[in-house]
Amino acid sequence: MRQRYCVPLPRVFLALAVVGFLVSRPASPSGFQVMTQGAKATGMGLAFAGVADDPSAIFYNPAGIAWQEHFSSMGGFAVLSRSSADFVSTNPFPGVGEFGTVQKQQFLVPNLFIVVPLTTDLNFGLGIDAPYGLGLRWNVPEVWSGRFISQNAVIKSTDLNPVFSYKLIPELSIAAGADYRFSGLQLERNTAAINLFTGAEVDVAHTKLFSDLTSNGGWGYNAGIMWKPVPAIGVGASYRSKITVNYEGTATIIPRPTGDPVFDALVASQVPFGVHPVATQIVFPASINTGVGIGLGGGFTVALEADWTQWSSFKALNIAFGDGAAPDINRTTAWTDSWAYRVGLEKKFGVWAIRAGYYYDNTPQPTKDVGPILFDNDRNVYTGGFGYQTEKFGLDIGGAYIVFKDRNVLTESTDNFFGVYSEIGWAAVADMRISF
Amino acid sequence: MNKSIFRSATLAAALALLAAVPAAAQTFSQYVALGDSLTAGSQSGCLVQRNQVNSFPAVLARTLLVPDFQLPLVQETALTNPPGTACLGAIFIPPSTVTVGAVSQMGAPLNSQLPRPYNDLGIPGIKVQELLTLTHGDPNGTDLEKLSALILRNVTGSPFDGTNAVQQADALIGPATGDTLVTLWIGNNNTLGASTSGIVVDGVTLISQSDFQASFQAILANLLPSTRLVVANLPDVTAIPFSTTIPPILVNPTTRQPVIINGAFVPLLGPGDSAYPCTPVPPDQGCGLPAGSLVNLPASSLLGQGVGIPVAAGGLGLPLPHGHIDGTGPHAGVVLYPDEVALLLQRTAEYNSVIASSASGATLVDANARFNEIRAEGFEIGGITLRTSFLTGGIFSYDGVHPSSIGYTIVADEFIKAMNAQGTTVYPRPNFSDVLFTPNVPVTGASVQNGGPWSYSFDMWRDVLATVSSSAASIVLPAVPAAAVVPAGRGRSTRMVARQAEP
Repeated sequence: MRQRYCVPLPRVFLALAVVGFLVSRPASPSGFQVMTQGAKATGMGLAFAGVADDPSAIFYNPAGIAWQEHFSSMGGFAVLSRSSADFVSTNPFPGVGEFGTVQKQQFLVPNLFIVVPLTTDLNFGLGIDAPYGLGLRWNVPEVWSGRFISQNAVIKSTDLNPVFSYKLIPELSIAAGADYRFSGLQLERNTAAINLFTGAEVDVAHTKLFSDLTSNGGWGYNAGIMWKPVPAIGVGASYRSKITVNYEGTATIIPRPTGDPVFDALVASQVPFGVHPVATQIVFPASINTGVGIGLGGGFTVALEADWTQWSSFKALNIAFGDGAAPDINRTTAWTDSWAYRVGLEKKFGVWAIRAGYYYDNTPQPTKDVGPILFDNDRNVYTGGFGYQTEKFGLDIGGAYIVFKDRNVLTESTDNFFGVYSEIGWAAVADMRISF
Repeated sequence: MNKSIFRSATLAAALALLAAVPAAAQTFSQYVALGDSLTAGSQSGCLVQRNQVNSFPAVLARTLLVPDFQLPLVQETALTNPPGTACLGAIFIPPSTVTVGAVSQMGAPLNSQLPRPYNDLGIPGIKVQELLTLTHGDPNGTDLEKLSALILRNVTGSPFDGTNAVQQADALIGPATGDTLVTLWIGNNNTLGASTSGIVVDGVTLISQSDFQASFQAILANLLPSTRLVVANLPDVTAIPFSTTIPPILVNPTTRQPVIINGAFVPLLGPGDSAYPCTPVPPDQGCGLPAGSLVNLPASSLLGQGVGIPVAAGGLGLPLPHGHIDGTGPHAGVVLYPDEVALLLQRTAEYNSVIASSASGATLVDANARFNEIRAEGFEIGGITLRTSFLTGGIFSYDGVHPSSIGYTIVADEFIKAMNAQGTTVYPRPNFSDVLFTPNVPVTGASVQNGGPWSYSFDMWRDVLATVSSSAASIVLPAVPAAAVVPAGRGRSTRMVARQAEP
């Protein structure tokens, strides 16, 4: 049996890492799920539940860390961005000829995974990642025709995920862990009202709903199982529970002067300008990842995976004004469960490896719910990457090119906001591992 | 070079996206609209070009790319003294009063030389039984004859003399090559006239279901076949802002909250009717309106003078006038008792059953159901909520009866949605941005014809009635001591008003 290296957890390092995550920026949407938490997994099309052979297994399949025999710390970041995200409008609203573009933001999403062997068969792992996020800020927000629905929508999350993995028999391991999710929200939009002197709609107020990342959170758990009948084959499955986060925050309503002081005075007598308490809730979905990794010989590994996400738990987005200053916002989302199918390939050349992958991700968002707050669609994703791995050191780079199908909202829309959304995005992930 | 390639690629992508959005294509070679003021595009008490171009038939024609859709356009002019048929608008009177008053008026016809009938043949004030019988107009005749002269041009010496609206529609449909569209929305005035004048008399201001059926079916029988006939039923006229803005109880004009005396709301006063007889308790000369009563918008002027408000609440104790007919003719009122509201609803349902059963083969727009939905839930579009409330809702114009340009676009959209729900062709829907964000104000300078919060003058009220009902009604008010004064701070108006009986 090989000697296992058991090292105590560096507390100060952990504390600094958590602080670093809490100020992280939101990620671009996938639904609004973000799976690019590890560079190797990303390079292999995120087909990693049956491979799970680096510390990012804490996210993809925590049972995989039972086979990792050294103290390992792996940290890095993902950069998520959009090459383009556009909206072309049609009738009845906002009408033929309107365009909208989303700001080309780059989101830096750090990740940190630590594996600590405790006994021969028991390992502890700690993952800090951001599995859900959204950032959708529209350009020229005071002119953008969807400004009464959303000018800027943000969902932030950071998970603190301690897990234990135990090898039941040499070929089979299980894992279970707790998952605490910090989350914050932001939604900005304008409000319109009829100018009774002209009969036309005018912008009269700007509302910013804000709920701080550090103030809201919810508990969940995750589990995994991994079976390696022979060293070259891994069969894995992992489960991550739904997490309900109840948010408390503020709605700041500020006036938008119309240029007509009489009308503005009338508006001021009707609109509750100022800061008001608001509350909302998001039910983050449960998910199951199932995959297999097969060593083909000659340094080749192929991985296949099917992932299911219970997006049907995201039924509504309701925002309540605690002081009754404004009507509550009740939006039915009615998402459906979704599947993603992934395939990945790795070829090793000694300490070097190159990787490629592909996955197809079904959108959980029904057409009716698609709008300026969030537009999502089925996507084809092409990935690639490379790595340098020794026993004590590893460096991986992965990338994904994400091609969304155009989303046509032409006949039904919760927002009554019609047109075609298109988006192309990319992700780049870099991780460095140190093992003792 | 790289930038050039990038721009080209961006442009190509944008064009590709545009191609993905269905473009409007010409769908009908001829379109004729038959109906009343809701078809004509009346708004804010008048019929002028500014609003006619946003009538629902005009929106429909624009959206469906119908060629050469002609309207009986009317010039909008500055107010004269005495005023003509006034167009209403919201006006601010310093320091703090917002009022509805006349801001312009109807002027001369702008399109009267058109050698063929207009495509929009909506005639304000017309009832179902008059669509076939109105064959002669007169610029100096009754209100309906004046409007017939304007829209049908069937005046003495005109080639259109002797023709009714249906015959003029047939004259356009008959020779048309290509697909033809006809919309028919008639019968609104058969309930609206009774409701707005406050004279709800079965068999007089409300015709029977069988009479309505005979007239409606005669219209259909005289109408030449078209490729597409779209018929709309009648909305609940008791639910329009004209009848729902003023509650039947006393409201504090400053707080807009109900006044409570001895723990109870204070009903406004009416004279009673046959179902709700009144025995006044002095010093009041009227009785409290029963729950379910409606008070029409013109009552605001009277309430401002203390009429309809009990003496104990600081009013004059006089009842709001109730519409009736006596030996001297019809006399308009401003209150509708629950039995009258019930009769209006019953008759509306009966008329609608006639429309539904008579228009088999046509596309039916259930305006009644849709209006009830919008009234209950509002109309949401692009994060904007439109409602049916007076002045601030966006759907109704300043007369509280007719839709605004936004409201008419909703009507056009409902017509298209009904057409799309029946058949395989998907017609494009109208562009709401055109009307949502475009100020709809007179091209002429505004002037104030009347003051008072949210009120009309009686003169304007009569003009409003003329646009919705062909029967000119006079108003009779109870005698009041000339020196009677409304104490400040009570009733709907904070003004001290010495009231004299209207002529």
